[in-house]
Amino acid sequence: MTSYFSPAVLGLFAPLSVIAYQLFPRRARWAALLGASLVFFWALSGRLVVFVLASAAIVWVGGMALGALARSRDRALAAEGAERRRVRRTYQRRMRAVLAVGVLLNVGILVALKYLGFLGSVAEGLGLGLPSLPSIGVPIGISFYTLQAVSYLTDVYRGVVPADANPARLALFLTFFPQVMEGPIARYSQTAQALWSGRPVTARGLFLGGTRVLWGLSKYLLVANRLNSFVKPVFADPASYDGSVIAVAAVLYTMQLYCDFSGTIDFAVGMARVFGVEEPENFRQPFLSRTASEFWQRWHVTLGSWLKDYVFYPVSLSRPVKHLTGAARRALGVRVGPAVASGVALLCVWVANGLWHGAGTQYLLFGLYYFVIIWLGGIVAPLSEGALARVGVSRDALPWRAFQHVRTLLVVFAGELLFRASGARQGISMLLRTVTDFSPASFVDGTMLGVGMDLHDFAVVGAFAVLLLVVGLVRERGSSPLERVWERGPAARLAIVTALVVMAVVFGAYGVGYVPVDPMYAQF
Amino acid sequence: MRRKLAGALRATVAVALSAAFMLGVLVALSHLVMPKNNQAEFGQIDASAHGVAGERPNSIDVLFMGDSEAYSSFSPLDLWHARGITSYVVATSSQKLPYTRSLLAYALARQSPRVVVLDANCLFRPFSPGDALVRAAQDALPVFEYHNRWKSLTLEDVVGTVRTTWSDELKGFHLSAKVDPADASGYQTPTDRVASMPALSMAYLHDIARTCADRGAHLVLVSTPSTKNWDMAKHNRVRLVAEELGVDYVDLNMGDERVDIDWSTDTRDAGDHLNLSGARKVTARMGELLSGRYGLEGHRGDPAFDSWDEAYSRYERKVSEL
Repeated sequence: MTSYFSPAVLGLFAPLSVIAYQLFPRRARWAALLGASLVFFWALSGRLVVFVLASAAIVWVGGMALGALARSRDRALAAEGAERRRVRRTYQRRMRAVLAVGVLLNVGILVALKYLGFLGSVAEGLGLGLPSLPSIGVPIGISFYTLQAVSYLTDVYRGVVPADANPARLALFLTFFPQVMEGPIARYSQTAQALWSGRPVTARGLFLGGTRVLWGLSKYLLVANRLNSFVKPVFADPASYDGSVIAVAAVLYTMQLYCDFSGTIDFAVGMARVFGVEEPENFRQPFLSRTASEFWQRWHVTLGSWLKDYVFYPVSLSRPVKHLTGAARRALGVRVGPAVASGVALLCVWVANGLWHGAGTQYLLFGLYYFVIIWLGGIVAPLSEGALARVGVSRDALPWRAFQHVRTLLVVFAGELLFRASGARQGISMLLRTVTDFSPASFVDGTMLGVGMDLHDFAVVGAFAVLLLVVGLVRERGSSPLERVWERGPAARLAIVTALVVMAVVFGAYGVGYVPVDPMYAQF
Repeated sequence: MRRKLAGALRATVAVALSAAFMLGVLVALSHLVMPKNNQAEFGQIDASAHGVAGERPNSIDVLFMGDSEAYSSFSPLDLWHARGITSYVVATSSQKLPYTRSLLAYALARQSPRVVVLDANCLFRPFSPGDALVRAAQDALPVFEYHNRWKSLTLEDVVGTVRTTWSDELKGFHLSAKVDPADASGYQTPTDRVASMPALSMAYLHDIARTCADRGAHLVLVSTPSTKNWDMAKHNRVRLVAEELGVDYVDLNMGDERVDIDWSTDTRDAGDHLNLSGARKVTARMGELLSGRYGLEGHRGDPAFDSWDEAYSRYERKVSEL
């Protein structure tokens, strides 16, 4: 699969797109962007481009219908003598039906193209037979653009954004090429109008966007590609390695996934900035989290906020869950009761999160793993805080914070191990072996250096991890390192661009001896 | 307006100076990481093919180019022994045409062959514009190819110059006496089908043909025997391509030039590649063609080529030890 960091994209497609965009008159620049995006989509998915166009058509029609119903409702409400409650209820029912059809059609395409095989195997396991359909492939980024499509329709239904009468703008919103493969999952209100506005390419945008792309490229080349040499053989044949190698592989895979995914997001955000568009950030220093819940507020942020807005809240506010919350409050008290009842909505979120990543038992296990940890964490948190207060330890005391950080990292590493394993059974077996088959000697007897990375490779990864930490801490303070460089003038800008280029070119793991890693999240 | 123009001019100068600075840095890094000798021990990639640079300047009559089919099928020292013709195999695994073009330029910088034999199998290996871009970048700035040498840099890499003193003792041939018979029952089944060849590949082939013509070398497209890699559809395409380019095409699988390969003894990996026995048959047929059709006379008896006799003696010893 083509990566954004392939020479063809980085060296030809992206620069040509920027030049074409700038050469177009401002009013027509949307056409250059949409054209480039559709060419990109077609180059990766061929005829399957019709599915993203179908999604755009569905949300356009659905949005227009919702908009028309909302206007009609407002007129009916404004009419004298109207029974407001009855009018509201009638229109709500109709709008809900339109929303349901739009959402079901979009999700239906996603399920039909991506999940039927998985559902078929589940049905087979249950002794049920499902008719097998011919596989026609999965369009690139379907999991991402489908969520954008659903969010747009839902936002129109909720009155958060007006219905867009322009189908081309909706198509551009769904297919914008820098984000279509791996996100971020933008909302209509965040990017659609900016994409359409045709803002000119500026020196500042080019610098900030270009350096962001180079930063992402460094993450991809220095770390993600390099770690492939260690991670791939261990997960392909875990039986050949002891528990300590598996544990290291889990840590390195977490780092690889982060550098691959956040590097790709850097490309998306950087390219969008060149076009004058602000994409939402998808990562906020996730490894500085103190709890698993906080980790998910910092990792794949746009998926988390999507699930919160379009799964957690609707389920929490549904009538059955409200009844359950009331009953739990009465039975278990005002503190624990609602936390227990919120488990229903949380379970929906984590099952959706797991299955969104792919059709496989390991993804379901991954979702349930985080559900249990976060749900129990929510229930236990008030108790542990009370216990801390009783022994006179502050929540912000260094030892307690350090304990929380280490605990969260262990939870994350274990979760990513389950996520990367080939199936739930292998994941659990590997996880158990990190404890039962852990051999400290493997760290000193050369075992670690025999897997696929030499000492130099480990040194590069270690040095880059330190650099990531420093940049993360600067960003954590609310400062943008690249903005600061821009303000320091041309010499500083040239220095940082040169440093990034040299870092990627010299220390990147590419060419002879390295197998480039496929864009990981593009498979989801 | 004037202010706007001045601003644009300033920006252009700033970008040009920045680009020049960046280029300077990459050129300096390229010098640093370039292997200082063309041996694998110095970090040379595809050292066997690059060994052609270690041959005495302008001493090679024939270059054999292509992928693993080429380095498994042509034995320069057997050709020398039979005809006194000097040759070198500038072939690499899974070679794509952009690399063929680069290696041809590399070889022609030191040699003036009269014939360039290109194994046709590599014409069908697909490559993207990105692959071509990478190759061009690697040729212009070797740091893109040899960047990983940062792991083994020494002071010599900083102060030393690039020397090409080494040559492969088998002149680029990969010697294997292993036998793994092939099932050749469906081999060369007649068909009118014509294998496809992308426009980009044709463009590169045109360029290779032009380079050979400019240097006064005959370009000859050759299809070597391989049950796994060769078929009639490819033959049909190469025939058309050769006509279009105005170059010779020799199919060693059929017709007058057919080499009598015994697929039970002449292949080392079930028909994918030839072994020594198969290569000797192919080399013998190529020798006839090079002497007959292209009038290569050979240098046997010329003291300037004594080293080839010595190389052949070593080769014979090596073969006898197999």
